[in-house]
Amino acid sequence: MDLHRVGRLAGVLVASQIRAGRSTSDPRSLFGRPFLLGLLDILLFVTLFGLTSVAVAPNPRLSTVALPLLLTALPFIPLYAVATVLVAGVMFELTATAKFAGSDAVNWLPLTPGEYVAASATAIAYAYSPALALILGPIAALSLAVGLGGSLVLVAALGVVGLFEGAFLVEMVRSATQRIGSVGGRRGRVALVARGAALLLLILALQLAFNPVFLFESLHGLAVLGSLSAFIPLFWATHAVTLWLAGDAATALVFVGAQVAFTGVLLGLAARLRVRYWVVAATEFSFEAHEYARRHAFLSALGLSAAEASIVTKDFHGLTRRREMLPMLVVPIVILIVIFVEDAGSSTALASIWAVVIVGWAGGFLALLLATTCVGQERRALQTLFAAPITGRSVLRAKTVSVLVPALFFTLATSLAGTVLFGLSATESVGILVVSSGAAVAATFLGLAFAARYSDFQERPRPQYLRPGPMAGAMISGVAVLFGVLVPGAFAFSAGGSPGLEAALVCLGVAAVALGVGLFSARTGFDRLFRELPF
Amino acid sequence: MLEVERFTKSYGPVRAVSEVTFSVPAGQIVGLLGPNGAGKSTTMKAILGLVRPDSGSIRVLGHDVAIAPIEAKREIGYVPESPSLYEFLTGAEYLDFISDLYGLDPSTRTGRIGQFLRGLELAGHENSLISGYSQGMKQKVALIAALVHHPRLLILDEPLNGLDPRSAHVVKEVLRSLTRNDGVGVLFSTHVLEIAQAICDHIIILHRGSVVASGTVEALRDRAGLAGSGLEDVFLSLTGTGDLSDVVQALSK
Repeated sequence: MDLHRVGRLAGVLVASQIRAGRSTSDPRSLFGRPFLLGLLDILLFVTLFGLTSVAVAPNPRLSTVALPLLLTALPFIPLYAVATVLVAGVMFELTATAKFAGSDAVNWLPLTPGEYVAASATAIAYAYSPALALILGPIAALSLAVGLGGSLVLVAALGVVGLFEGAFLVEMVRSATQRIGSVGGRRGRVALVARGAALLLLILALQLAFNPVFLFESLHGLAVLGSLSAFIPLFWATHAVTLWLAGDAATALVFVGAQVAFTGVLLGLAARLRVRYWVVAATEFSFEAHEYARRHAFLSALGLSAAEASIVTKDFHGLTRRREMLPMLVVPIVILIVIFVEDAGSSTALASIWAVVIVGWAGGFLALLLATTCVGQERRALQTLFAAPITGRSVLRAKTVSVLVPALFFTLATSLAGTVLFGLSATESVGILVVSSGAAVAATFLGLAFAARYSDFQERPRPQYLRPGPMAGAMISGVAVLFGVLVPGAFAFSAGGSPGLEAALVCLGVAAVALGVGLFSARTGFDRLFRELPF
Repeated sequence: MLEVERFTKSYGPVRAVSEVTFSVPAGQIVGLLGPNGAGKSTTMKAILGLVRPDSGSIRVLGHDVAIAPIEAKREIGYVPESPSLYEFLTGAEYLDFISDLYGLDPSTRTGRIGQFLRGLELAGHENSLISGYSQGMKQKVALIAALVHHPRLLILDEPLNGLDPRSAHVVKEVLRSLTRNDGVGVLFSTHVLEIAQAICDHIIILHRGSVVASGTVEALRDRAGLAGSGLEDVFLSLTGTGDLSDVVQALSK
């Protein structure tokens, strides 16, 4: 392995990571250079170290509070590093637009698979290193304050090893999922769905496995496993730190060596998987013969014209076929599962309130995500709609349905799940559906208003669809609207009588205002958007 | 058929197109030539209503694009310089989608799309995702999408990019047939001057956002004082980039 070549390629891939998410990509600017991430690491570490030091310095009872906390936290920092890279890497690296994910040049450059994997993993580890700096800063301050400074070096080093471990696992998943679509020679609709579903399940599984709530459960499981966990490579770094803190330096170093060796094995496995499964050309998916001019009965019944129905159908295809859409579907599902698992079986008076908020939140948040991104998803192909004889209002109608159908379907499904899990009555169940649907509709128009004005149409590996500032604005105002509708709506259920009626009126009022403002803003936004192609 | 009058467009401080006036009569292929950045694509986008003129007017079959853009677009078939297709659709799904946008009669859609697929040798690939297509195949899909709804005006920005010789020949013959037999007007942009010379009835040369020459190939030769020369020499002369010997010499070292 030529380390110089690995370093050069890693530098290029890091630059690509940094520039992929920015609308201006001037390579000469500070923000376009790979060292920016290193600088960010240092800044985060120093700032958080300083702030924590200042905060804990005058506290004489620090050691009694911080020491037990550190003895628990320090061993799990390497695992946190692995989890962060694995979860974020699979979520964002593997769902990059297929057009860019191929990174064709590496296929004809004189690089071995091992060199490519090492370079790519280095770039991924480096890209997510701020997550490690973020936690090491305050931990370092606390450790020094209670006299555990010596252990910190070991924790930091194993944290870096953890970043690489996670990155090699991401590379392995990347290679393995390349072929999911062509297993057994199937390259049709079933194969495409299989690929999407497999990736979706993988992301879901990782999100859930490493979610703080479930991770805590797994730590409890680790204690139950006891000495058996010493045979699980993923926990070797944890054992190393635990033993080090207990004063058993020799055994700790054995586990450190084992962890480093395991990371080397992962590199070898990742390289072998790349050789075995990587495909240079994009997999060609062929479907059964297309039936032209098929009637969209359901969409026509909603009052859409043939052109509008066709845009909706196209968007549905995009939702199920585009890899970069998967994170959007995953986020609300993960939130929902985590909350459901935490609160299922609750039979308190708060159950119905929770059910309204949870169900409405998940559906509304999905509506908000889909709505804010539905225009940017068109990317450069937006000019197809611009060149066609259709108005902006027509596109708005189509986009509204494209967002509302999946969001309301999701809301219905979660309402049913909520009814079962919380043991609610039929009346409560219908009420939940009505309030949640209202919240989803309000969130949809709010999202569309932002999408019409601030969409990002740049072609890049990790599209952002909406410019970052407005995206933050859309999320904050969207979440405010969702809670503004859902909380009084939920209260209306549980309170009953006059207070319940008042809460219902507040819920309706917020929904009506949000809907009115959102609809007006979306209509004027689409009118303005369709005056001139924005790129 | 197409009347562009004193069309002007600026992007910030840069004036992309300045006071451009020309027309495309029915049944003619008009070549819009010019170096990179001359304003060809901006002009073509303005005809589609994708770009709003700062001043001037554009009329398509009597419809002012600024006032009645939908009516104008209904009459136009457009191939952009870099077609961005929905790559998650199959070729057939994409063409069906385009047919819906233009309100193409369902009964004629299947036959017409099938004819084009066979003529451009895409038949057999139409049920594959566009993401797996080569550049030439994508260009063919873009061309079919521009032609499928019987447009009366074609705006073609580098339409032969990436096409194999057979398909390029088919497209050129289809354009000739559409103009001669159906009276379709064509505005055609290309950097391959041999193609422009071979198929265009009229040539417009844009340079730095302005029309520097307009006429038949013979008229342009006369104007450049290069009787008997090819369009390439005429083009280089009229755009002031005639003597390139220094550049060639430097690059050959």
